[in-house]
Amino acid sequence: MSAPTMKERKACWAARDEFWRCLDRHTEDAPRCEKLRRSFESLCPQQWVKYFDKRRDFLKYKEKLESEGFQPPETAGKA
Amino acid sequence: MAMALLPVRCLRLFPLRPSQLPAPTRGLSGARGGPTPVLPLGRRLAVVTAVGGAAGGAWLYLRARKERERRERRQRELRALALGQGNFQLVDHRGRPRCKADFRGQWVLLYFGFTHCPDVCPEELEKLSRVVELLDRDAALPRVQPLFITVDPERDDVAAVGRYVRDFHPRLLGLTGSPEQVRAVSSAYRVYASAGPKDEDGDYIVDHTIIIYLLAPDGLFLDYYNRSKTADKIAESVRRHMESYEPLLD
Repeated sequence: MSAPTMKERKACWAARDEFWRCLDRHTEDAPRCEKLRRSFESLCPQQWVKYFDKRRDFLKYKEKLESEGFQPPETAGKA
Repeated sequence: MAMALLPVRCLRLFPLRPSQLPAPTRGLSGARGGPTPVLPLGRRLAVVTAVGGAAGGAWLYLRARKERERRERRQRELRALALGQGNFQLVDHRGRPRCKADFRGQWVLLYFGFTHCPDVCPEELEKLSRVVELLDRDAALPRVQPLFITVDPERDDVAAVGRYVRDFHPRLLGLTGSPEQVRAVSSAYRVYASAGPKDEDGDYIVDHTIIIYLLAPDGLFLDYYNRSKTADKIAESVRRHMESYEPLLD
């Protein structure tokens, strides 16, 4: 399976950005953005969808840290 | 008339009439008794300028020497590190065999990546292309050779690399090879690369060091630029290296 071309990459990124913008508007309420999610999944390779989902989680976490500061988990002590 | 040329405070300090001012040729020995004649303003200014100039000169010299010593220390460190030593044998995206010696005499900006990369590699290669464009604008500088080496030789064969590099700077040369050859060049440049788990399609992502390496015409690694460096900053740094270049190896 050959790698996406530049055109395909840009289409994937655009779909991802639209999906993320929808999530931003509806504060992560995923069901509201179902259509855009399906479009994103169809335009991007599966591996990339997983990668971008993880990236989104990381960016949101980073945002949270920057605004709220670090809160150690309550269940500290579990290895 | 000479009085008019003296600043007012001088007149207050040395309330001498023009006829009482010592002529320049007499100096400090002072002819007859009375107050020791002082050097004229012109002479004093000359002395202060000379002393100031000497101090300034000394400071500039010491600063230049410190900078030279810092550069020499860095060169010793880079020589000890000797990144990118040893030959590599790869194939370019037109199918021609290439070894490290082919790039001697050229400045090289090198990036390791893979064609199935979701976002980082295209962004870094765009940045790299932009750096080359910026440097090309100055006709006095040698032309930089941008290089892309894959960290995913299993999938990135000559055709795949050829399709990939086409989207970036026209001089960008893609290199690939057998897994052994690619492993050899990656370890020579201390590049970390680790293929992730495959999904049902057999697709996977390769986690890897994200760095643009600058190689000098003698083939040795001279500097590196990470994700946070902008194209402008990188071009500025490359230009500085080119202008102050002294070969590391004899």
